Amino acid sequence: MIGPTPAQITEELRRFQARLAEGARTLHGLGPIETGVLSRDPVYQEDKLILYRYQPRVAEPHPVPLLIVYALVNRPYMMDLQEDRSLIRGLLDAGLDVYLIDWGYPDAGDRHLSLADYILRYIGHCVDHLRERHDQDSINLLGVCQGGALSLCFAALHSGKIRNLVTMVTPVDFHTPDNVLTHLIRHVDVDLLVDTLGNLPGQLLNFTFLSLSPFRLAGQKYVDLVDILDDVQALKNFLRMEKWIFDSPDQAGEAFRQFAKDFFQQNKLVKGEVVIGGQRVDLRNVTMPVLNVYASQDHLVPPAASKALAGCCGSRDYSELSFKGGHIGIYVSGRAQREVPPAIAAWLLAR
Amino acid sequence: MAEQTDSPDPSGFDIELLLKQARTYLAFGEQLQPLSERFHETLGQDGDWGEALRQHFDQLKAALAEAADDPGGHADLARLWTVTLDTWRQTAASLGVPATLAPLAGVNAKAWQAYQSVQGQYLDLLRQAARDALDLMEQRLGERAAAGATVESLRELYNLWVECNEETYGRMLRGPDYGALNGRLLNALLGCHARGDTPA
Repeated sequence: MIGPTPAQITEELRRFQARLAEGARTLHGLGPIETGVLSRDPVYQEDKLILYRYQPRVAEPHPVPLLIVYALVNRPYMMDLQEDRSLIRGLLDAGLDVYLIDWGYPDAGDRHLSLADYILRYIGHCVDHLRERHDQDSINLLGVCQGGALSLCFAALHSGKIRNLVTMVTPVDFHTPDNVLTHLIRHVDVDLLVDTLGNLPGQLLNFTFLSLSPFRLAGQKYVDLVDILDDVQALKNFLRMEKWIFDSPDQAGEAFRQFAKDFFQQNKLVKGEVVIGGQRVDLRNVTMPVLNVYASQDHLVPPAASKALAGCCGSRDYSELSFKGGHIGIYVSGRAQREVPPAIAAWLLAR
Repeated sequence: MAEQTDSPDPSGFDIELLLKQARTYLAFGEQLQPLSERFHETLGQDGDWGEALRQHFDQLKAALAEAADDPGGHADLARLWTVTLDTWRQTAASLGVPATLAPLAGVNAKAWQAYQSVQGQYLDLLRQAARDALDLMEQRLGERAAAGATVESLRELYNLWVECNEETYGRMLRGPDYGALNGRLLNALLGCHARGDTPA
């Protein structure tokens, strides 16, 4: 039954408009929106890449550093979005010494960067820098989403340099039936795409992500925003997330070509057929301890796509951590702050 | 070492996104008001609520179809149908292929026509999902009425509309037709781009 009378609907619309008008003024007066709240220092730089060290939050951090490899898609400040939503803070509080690769924003000059550049050169140089800096033969590596797939490739090719590997919401089998991103990219002529555009524009990626749930992400979200326009704190939280969503770097053309074709379209990672810099990536060479963290309600990287790692990596010390939440919630939800960093830190500190 | 941006910031938040959807919500409210009117009239006259619901949704489908055919007529209402197509057209424009049906001045009209044809098929698929969503919403409202449950506000109706659209759109998105069409749409757009025959 329809409860509200026409007069009540008119009144509801009037209140909505009034809140919108008042809120638009609040929005204009908000001032700068900050993301990435923790203190950090650049310790290594190569091309557009900057390797940051986060200031430790304990007197004597763990001697083996942890290197976070974020995806090339979107910006890594999602790992340290705000004071009370920071996975990195949780890792620091647990006593870890945390480093993060910021890939920067590729431009036309980066069109020819390949996956070999990203994996062997960039990740490789960061790993070597940290091994030397901390006087360690091997370091801990945490790969996030696509960064997890890149980390797996590196770990398979240089297993001696990685003491422990953590993968977070990382796709391994790209052809599980519920993988909607693969479904969308399967019929795209990737060669035509890269040959035509050079780098893949971030806006095209944005469209792809928005098109997965357009009525919620491009419609309802903004109608609901009107409800919180008078709450400065909630508004700032919304805008931080909004900033991150639309802050999509272009993707270096050649790296995208290989990732889209070999990983998404041909599912070569799980088959052991990916070739990086002339070397075949065999996940059976991932022999170090592995913690595979996935989100049970992840619609971008379905749990089955991540859990496939169990069946193809060579580690005898393989564990999984299932987080009840989605692909973004695993970084920023309140429960994630309580559950995920302590679990990762405890697992690392025990090894 | 915080990363900062002023707000509103085109790279972070575009207030027009909020205003557009607010206008769309208002248009939704205007469309749903007669349903409320009809319902309360039917209730007073002890009439056939199911029939009234059916008639209203038929009218709603017709109004939305008309708006989608001529978005210039009622853009805010049309957006209820075409949110995905809007986003796609913005993306295409950012890649140098504007959303225009202008006849081609260039020599490679074939690629442009092929793109228009695929985009038309894409729009048809979106429309079908939107029609299915209205059928689903009608069905859900009927079920609620039968169970004696009441929709308490316009926002609740809007949320139900979003839920129904996400459900039918999601089914379409995961179906084999959409995957293939999505690829063809992008490939066709690139075909225009590559051949340099996009209208100025």
